[in-house]
Amino acid sequence: MPNLVPKALRKPGKPGEGNGALSPEKLKEAPVDLVGWVDERTGASPFLTGLLFRKVPKGTNWYYTLGSATLFAFLVQAITGVFLAMFYVPSPVEAYGSITHITNDVFLGEFVRGMHKWGATTMIILIFLHMARTFFFGAYKYPRELNWVIGVVLIILTLVMGLTGYLLPFDQRSYWATIVAMNITATGPILGPYLADFLRAGAEFEATTLSRFYALHMMLVPGLIIALIGAHLYLVVKLGTTAPPWVRAESKPKSLREEKV
Amino acid sequence: MADPANNKNGGAAGGNEAPERPKPAGYFEGETMTRRAAFAVAGQAFGGVAAAGVLLPVVGFAVAPIFDRPEERWEAVGPVDAFSDDTYRQAVITLRDGIGEAGKTTVYIRRGNPSRFEGESADEFIAISTRCAHLGCPVRFVEAAGSFICPCHGGVYDFEGKVLGGPPVRPLDRFQTRVRDGQVEVGPRYSVTNSLKPVRSRDPGEFTGGIWEYLYPPRPSTPPAP
Amino acid sequence: MDSAAKEAYLREYEVLKKKGKPFFPYAVFKDSVMFMIVVGVIAFMSLMLGAEQGPKADPTTTTYVPRPEWYFFFLFELLRVLKPPELVPVATIGLPTVAMVLLLLLPFYDRNPERHPLRRPVATTAGIMTIIAMAFLTYLGASAGSPTEIELDVAPQYEAGKQVAAQSGCLACHQFGHNGNDGPGPELTHIGSELPAAAIERTLRNPPGIMPSFENLPPEKFNDLVEFLSSLR
Repeated sequence: MPNLVPKALRKPGKPGEGNGALSPEKLKEAPVDLVGWVDERTGASPFLTGLLFRKVPKGTNWYYTLGSATLFAFLVQAITGVFLAMFYVPSPVEAYGSITHITNDVFLGEFVRGMHKWGATTMIILIFLHMARTFFFGAYKYPRELNWVIGVVLIILTLVMGLTGYLLPFDQRSYWATIVAMNITATGPILGPYLADFLRAGAEFEATTLSRFYALHMMLVPGLIIALIGAHLYLVVKLGTTAPPWVRAESKPKSLREEKV
Repeated sequence: MADPANNKNGGAAGGNEAPERPKPAGYFEGETMTRRAAFAVAGQAFGGVAAAGVLLPVVGFAVAPIFDRPEERWEAVGPVDAFSDDTYRQAVITLRDGIGEAGKTTVYIRRGNPSRFEGESADEFIAISTRCAHLGCPVRFVEAAGSFICPCHGGVYDFEGKVLGGPPVRPLDRFQTRVRDGQVEVGPRYSVTNSLKPVRSRDPGEFTGGIWEYLYPPRPSTPPAP
Repeated sequence: MDSAAKEAYLREYEVLKKKGKPFFPYAVFKDSVMFMIVVGVIAFMSLMLGAEQGPKADPTTTTYVPRPEWYFFFLFELLRVLKPPELVPVATIGLPTVAMVLLLLLPFYDRNPERHPLRRPVATTAGIMTIIAMAFLTYLGASAGSPTEIELDVAPQYEAGKQVAAQSGCLACHQFGHNGNDGPGPELTHIGSELPAAAIERTLRNPPGIMPSFENLPPEKFNDLVEFLSSLR
């Protein structure tokens, strides 16, 4: 009977056994074989090597890490957020108590909640610094206009995250800030009043207002952000990151000089 | 086209040498254009119907509360004698049941004062909402100044709730009142114009009266003006 | 940007890219250092400052002074600065929407192919001015006092009167130092040098215009208030 288990995944025999035994050299190759097995079935390696070993232009400096730094802050938010959701209760009666419970009783609770809180601040600072870098380096110009537009939408969504997340602890500050924010949407002519009713799920602060904000904060807006980050990164890889505007390819001035000579 | 497989068909059919029309991407031998169009339209239509089948109910579900008007609530706040006509008394009423503190609000109540204010009568009661007409912060009645003061953006209202200064766009909202069995009862909220004419309840920050009644249209979630 | 400029840019970029280093490990190294710093800063802030929890949400309050999170201070201050009611929709919806649209469409109206910040004086100046304006509004919003607090330094005997002034709603219409509203009433920071005590007392009893009378204050508090006001020089 032929052995159906792929060679790379077979259980290695005991050293010294004759049939199918792995010599030290073979053992060294085993992980490579596993990679080869996956690659044979996905064809991912040209894509991955292209991604990893693509060249970034000359002059790329530390300012270019602001975008990735924003992404890392978002990852911190996503991870801490998932675990905070395990203890949080989005009901107007119990929300405040569940936050107190997280802060005071849960092991490392205050630390994780603090990470989420300060992560928000960090992410907002970083995303604005990233935008400032893009603006002053002229990196939004051809051919990267579309990526700028996606980035601005990401900033707006990040501020929306700040706002919707704000209500969840349900203390005085969050309650009144949210009331003001909802009333700000209501001041838009024609559609504003209906938009505010939609956000509140009614004319006053309703029983489901908090869960509405929770759903926006937990699923809808993060989903949009993840999708747009994907598009943003795809364009970054496809178009390449810019070089700093003061770095010039030297070929031109050189050839001019040669002509003069 | 350059593909010999494609050319063979054309050549065998009539042998005419007229240049073949370029075939669209994904063309295969024997495909007709009407067949392609039919499948393209049908594919998009089925996808569209399926997406609408998910999205429409969900959006309707999320939007429905806009059209939902809760039952009117009337709440007794104290006996008739407890209220004077020269100052306000605070009372806490419930706007929404079942959510504890979050569904409550504070109102300032006084008896009507015909000698000071035209159009008021001595047996009516005025209930002023503490929701600032600028952006909804909690206003406070300051006894010494006889005025309502908002802590957020600097709005000030006089004794009747009319704007004295700052950014508020209209006088403070009021609640309907009535007397039952010697008790003053407070009902639904309504807004007023600058001349204190009652209109349907608005959110803060929305002007009342004149053209603004159309720019900030009435919402189905609020009861009509008294 | 015409097609020649586009092509020139792409060609130059191709050269710069060829001269560059591979993403892995050189850029990845920088990114992972940044990852460490970001996580380190967040964890440090969390350890040092924790996550304080304010008092429970209370819609019935009439004494709480709402303030937004710091990154919305510029919007908050905008709402305070634009006083006339007609401008409320401008401050709430108008200006933020215009700003967002301008930001979103930036690459479509800034069609200058130049990228160096020093050779784009208009864009660079506009960017710096925007940052300064937002920083200034944020600072003003952060230092906005409560409407029931006066932060002037006064001699201890006037502290009681200061309390009365702060709690009686004077700040709603008058400015004391950087507390209070700029109007409708006049600034009172130096009222003592402008009016004698007797005149201040008369104004408080029989005020002009829309100002309410403070005659109903208890006599002791009334005297404290007059003393405090006439001490402001």
